[in-house]
Amino acid sequence: MKNLLLALAILSLTGCAMFETPTPVKRNFPSVPNELMEACPDLKKTEPTEKLSEVLKVVVDNYGQYHECKIKVDTWVEWYNTQKNIFESVK
Amino acid sequence: MWMLSFVPDAVLYFVVIGIMFSGIALYALSFFTRFIPPLIPYSGIARILGTILLVGGIYFYGSYSTEMEWRSKVAELEAKVAIAEQQSTEANVKIQTVVKEKIKYVKETRVVIQEHIKTVEAKIDSICKVAPEAVDILNEAAATPGAKK
Repeated sequence: MKNLLLALAILSLTGCAMFETPTPVKRNFPSVPNELMEACPDLKKTEPTEKLSEVLKVVVDNYGQYHECKIKVDTWVEWYNTQKNIFESVK
Repeated sequence: MWMLSFVPDAVLYFVVIGIMFSGIALYALSFFTRFIPPLIPYSGIARILGTILLVGGIYFYGSYSTEMEWRSKVAELEAKVAIAEQQSTEANVKIQTVVKEKIKYVKETRVVIQEHIKTVEAKIDSICKVAPEAVDILNEAAATPGAKK
């Protein structure tokens, strides 16, 4: 009887985590700006022509598209790093 | 046990303290029952019951403390998550503004260059004539790799 009481006392003093249940805190995945969700278009092709100016216009358009896509990719990297830092700040 | 999370802190506290003090009271009472002849037969039962309630009460008190610690951790984490979500939204607005400005600038620059080409169009075309092969090569380079023709 004494041993049983002793065991019960020790058990109770450990403060068993009887109520301890993992309570997940809901976290929402961060949203992405709409501008970054647009796919990069294909490069424009030149219509058959002898005029260099026509070719040049298409080339300039394609350069512009490249710059837009570069901005998007760079921004994706920035977005990821920013959101990762914010995510990791919660501990 | 998850149902306990719906029980208010104060109710849980009073139940646990109630069990513990009932145990103490019953245990103490078991000593006095010796002096009251009609209650003597119940002395042993009261002592055992008191001991069980006391030990159980201490056990529940330990568990209650753990539960409270968990609840405070959850509350703390929820507050942190709320701040993080706010920061995330603010960062998104900032990123969105910057990306819009950059794309706008690229588009404007493209228009300026296209206008520039128009002003020197005649000059360029009079000096140079593009061979059809050059256009083919350029289109070949512009084609998306792996895309079906």
